Amino acid sequence: MRLEKCWFCSSTVYPGHGIQFVRNDAKIFHFCRSKCHKNFKMKRNPRKVKWTKAYRRLHGKDMTQDSTFEFERKRNRPERYDRNLAENTLKAIKKIDKIRSDRASDHIKNRLKTGKVQRQKEARKQLELGIHLVKAPLALAQDSSLCLPKIKVNVSQAQTEENQPMED
Amino acid sequence: MAVTFASRCSRVGRSLMGGLGNNLSNLRSTSSEITCSSFLSQQQRTFIQMRTVLKVVDNSGAKKVMCIQALKGKKGARLGDTIIASVKEAMPNGKVKKGKVVYGVVVRAAMQRGRCDGSEVKFDDNAVVLVEKQGQPIGTRVFGPVPHELRQKKHVKILTLAEHIA
Repeated sequence: MRLEKCWFCSSTVYPGHGIQFVRNDAKIFHFCRSKCHKNFKMKRNPRKVKWTKAYRRLHGKDMTQDSTFEFERKRNRPERYDRNLAENTLKAIKKIDKIRSDRASDHIKNRLKTGKVQRQKEARKQLELGIHLVKAPLALAQDSSLCLPKIKVNVSQAQTEENQPMED
Repeated sequence: MAVTFASRCSRVGRSLMGGLGNNLSNLRSTSSEITCSSFLSQQQRTFIQMRTVLKVVDNSGAKKVMCIQALKGKKGARLGDTIIASVKEAMPNGKVKKGKVVYGVVVRAAMQRGRCDGSEVKFDDNAVVLVEKQGQPIGTRVFGPVPHELRQKKHVKILTLAEHIA
């Protein structure tokens, strides 16, 4: 039993799933599901299809180089069964998987960080400019605790007297 | 006068219609092309039955054979089955000649075949290796990949001759 990688989307193909296509030049393509198979038949390049791992790796969306990938390389030599070895391998697989997924999510978080900071800055700016849509300037003047810390509200006495009769 | 006018009108009309028709036909052809390609990509591959033309992938001399009977299987032959075929196209100097009735083992089928681990295999085309009634291949070489379903069907000789086992 061997867990293959889908040729199109690079997800693992578990036993009982998918189709193997053997081309006449003896190249074997594994597909995890008919979606990938149909895309292949349409002659689509996985490097151009946004949701595939190939695209994501190529465009820097996902982690490309890491030492944890070395553990998962394809080995064609069959190992003699050793109970200890099997046990250790299973434990290691779990740990390596966790480390790899943590590193991958960190990579994505770092990538999205600059955008998040930018959006927060823009939101703050917009709030400063448009505070009059949220709270009346009068209320801000009267109760300074409602102000944002950075807002300077210069309201003269004459203006408040003018606005009071309007509200009444 | 009326006739010439009518003919001119018809010619103009026809050219207009031709233009429109061209556009329409282009649109239709592109849309039908798209639908055709989508239709083709969902082509349902089925069994090898009577009148199926198969490629011969050994050096027995034949190039194309047409299946006339699938031994075993009500609906037709699949990957690894034997068929009776008639040689339709052959090399000029070969062991088999055109029109001869031969037995063959299907080594590549476009229809997917389930494997015991639950996966399915399919090949690019339908190909056959000519054998004698006992099961010994007539040719001495086999081209292209062959599946290892043949081992279970006891066609070991073909497997040994093959250049790649899928």
